[in-house]
Amino acid sequence: MSIAVQSQFHSYDADSFYDEMFERDLKVRAHYEGVYRTFSRMKPPELAARQQALQQRMLEEGITFTLYTPEQAEPLERTIPFDYIPRIIPKQEWQLIEQGMKQRVRALNAFVHDIYHGQQIVKEGIIPRRMIVGNRYFRPEMAGLEVPGGAYMTASGIDLIRNETGEYFVLEDNLRTPSGFSYLYRGRSMMSEHFHDLYLSSAVADIDQSLNIFLRSLRSLAPSGKRDPLIALLTPGAYNSAYYEHTFLAQQMGIHLVEGRDLVYKDHKIYLRDLRGLRQVDVIYRRLDDDYLDPLAFAPDSMLGVPGLMNAYRAGNIAIANAPGTGVADDKAVYAYVPDMIKFYLNESPVLNNVPTYILDRKEDREYVLDNLKDLVVKETSLSGGYGMLIGPTATAKEIEMFERAIRQDPGRYIAQTTMQLSRAPVMVGGEMTPRHIDLRAFVLMGAEEETHVIPSGLTRVALKEGSLVVNSSQGGGVKDTWVLNR
Amino acid sequence: MISRNAEALFWIGRYMERAENHARLIDVHYHLQAEEPLVALQQGGDEEAKDPLCKWGRIVDALGSRGAYEQQYGAYTEQDVVYYVTLDRENPNSLVSCVNYARGNVRTLREKLPAEVWDTANGFYLWLREKQPADMMRESPHQFFSRVKEWTALFQGTVQSVMPRENEWYFIECGRYMERTENTLRILRSAGLIAPQGAGVSDGYDPVYPYLQAVLRSVSAYQPFRRYYADGFSLESIVEFLVLNTAFPRSVHFSLHQLDDHLQGIELMEKSMRVAHDRVLRQIAKIKADLACLEREDLSPQGESPVVAHLLQAVQQLGASFAQTFFRIGEASA
Repeated sequence: MSIAVQSQFHSYDADSFYDEMFERDLKVRAHYEGVYRTFSRMKPPELAARQQALQQRMLEEGITFTLYTPEQAEPLERTIPFDYIPRIIPKQEWQLIEQGMKQRVRALNAFVHDIYHGQQIVKEGIIPRRMIVGNRYFRPEMAGLEVPGGAYMTASGIDLIRNETGEYFVLEDNLRTPSGFSYLYRGRSMMSEHFHDLYLSSAVADIDQSLNIFLRSLRSLAPSGKRDPLIALLTPGAYNSAYYEHTFLAQQMGIHLVEGRDLVYKDHKIYLRDLRGLRQVDVIYRRLDDDYLDPLAFAPDSMLGVPGLMNAYRAGNIAIANAPGTGVADDKAVYAYVPDMIKFYLNESPVLNNVPTYILDRKEDREYVLDNLKDLVVKETSLSGGYGMLIGPTATAKEIEMFERAIRQDPGRYIAQTTMQLSRAPVMVGGEMTPRHIDLRAFVLMGAEEETHVIPSGLTRVALKEGSLVVNSSQGGGVKDTWVLNR
Repeated sequence: MISRNAEALFWIGRYMERAENHARLIDVHYHLQAEEPLVALQQGGDEEAKDPLCKWGRIVDALGSRGAYEQQYGAYTEQDVVYYVTLDRENPNSLVSCVNYARGNVRTLREKLPAEVWDTANGFYLWLREKQPADMMRESPHQFFSRVKEWTALFQGTVQSVMPRENEWYFIECGRYMERTENTLRILRSAGLIAPQGAGVSDGYDPVYPYLQAVLRSVSAYQPFRRYYADGFSLESIVEFLVLNTAFPRSVHFSLHQLDDHLQGIELMEKSMRVAHDRVLRQIAKIKADLACLEREDLSPQGESPVVAHLLQAVQQLGASFAQTFFRIGEASA
């Protein structure tokens, strides 16, 4: 066991929060030893050179993220900050996560099916009806519709955090069009190519095969079991902030990357305009919100979607992944009921717990929350990406007052959660390891017949600002490669 | 054209192609996470035969240098193998040797070739000559191999853009495609040693998958393969794709047809040579016909594939006839 004794570590604080690499007394955790040894041996100039090489590659490959801010006329295209100290998850921990993820997604899938069919869970009084019908992602158009292969959420991203004892909690479910796959894969190839010595000596679980499973899941949804289905990724276009990810996935899976204008609706089918003529599309993996999918069914002014898509879908001639209307299950208020769903649909107890959550429609919850705003995190239920959030412990009196008023006005719009002491992992800042808060987005893939797979890795997001708890890339977060160990 | 020049041109094409193929192959295999028991050698169960199973052994095997390596070194270790296949001047088949030979051949033809061709070959050689094994490992092997590929691309691009389409050009291209055909076949031969699929599959995860993917990546075929076979990752499909696909530029079919086209481009004055030239053309037509008659079942990818072995032998014979016809020095020099 090595103990971090170098002078650069005398100031490393592994004591205030759970630290992924160090125990409280700065003893290096066993699964981090190789990594620790490698990075503590490297001299600052060498580290700087590698950092430079990584940055250069991201630029050359165009691994960028577009940030649109109202103040700026020119959108900001930048590389996502990438920290090269990998986050390591030992095999046993991963097995628990994997099991928890599969269970959760199976329950969520059953829930969405139920909501658009018998609504048993509402009838039995487990979830209040207004949470469903008042939900802006509830799609009455989906009622009674049998989705291909029974899979509503082909690709989901579940955000996990660890508390002060290192226990994992589910923070959020992303079931509509979660992103981050490309950062996970590019981060991995950069690490394996630029830190090859460390990577090759570390028994890291392979993730390439998961892309094959992703493709297989999409193919399994093809209506009427077509043998060689045509699959297309529907992107809003090159101006979308996640466009790089869309090109990456289409390229890696060998599927078509299309915009709405490339597709036409005819005879209850969707066709791709191609030099060879019209070719029928069997599966659409869309990276477009429900609202924009089909101007005839949803937002009528959408220029991005395909008029008629929902008709073709209802006629059973195309699969859409993820299915429209899955958002009803990733709402932040519905989140609070996922443990009940697991019990109700699977008759199991949750492998991974939720972060304790207060429903502000409940009088006693609301009163407690209003009295303790400075200790809680408040989130607007329908927003994601770190927007519309109050973090009590770091908020100003004015912000707290603002949220207090907003909650009293429309309590159903908000939930509150206990402030979690997010775990930390070291990042390299100016040649020194410095602790920063992190979370983990795990990606779950589901094909027909609920065949589920969890990519053995994930996107570790880092709050790069010192002390910050916000890890979203739109809010200045960075990422790390995540290594699940094979042994 | 002097026979000696024809031979030099042929080998310029061949060595530059070989350097490119080596770079790709070593890069891909270097980054594989090795899990030894997954790969089973088909013939022989003796202890020594297990050695080449490790990824370092497979790199050497796929380069066709197993015998020579084993004579010189006892065991397959990362350090020895990486040095042997990249910077070892004693190894006639190493990267640095290939580039050295190619440049040496360009040098004998300096007055006949466009100046830019020499500049590129020489620049490539000078850059590579400076490299030390320690630099390569410290910087990043991936970066090193990427640079090598950039240099070979620069060379090919220069040749392509400035060489008149005369015999000189055709000889270089014949060398390139002869080498490419053999290279793909060699990779397929060594892919036959990958363990059968489905053995250790757990939870939808097949331990053989990374090796199959490496076969495709080592000839840059991963993306095009996906377009044809989607998620149908199997050794059968991979062999079928790499042997029979007509559009993919590194398939056996494609390279052989290119070889044929460029062979036909060569113009000869002397009658006896024209007769010999026709004979080589008939020989290649025969291999093309063999390919055209193959059924998917014939490809039997596991173990020693008779078809791959047959094609490899036929292409090697073709190389010998080619040398006899055009170089008249009997043996080719590698």
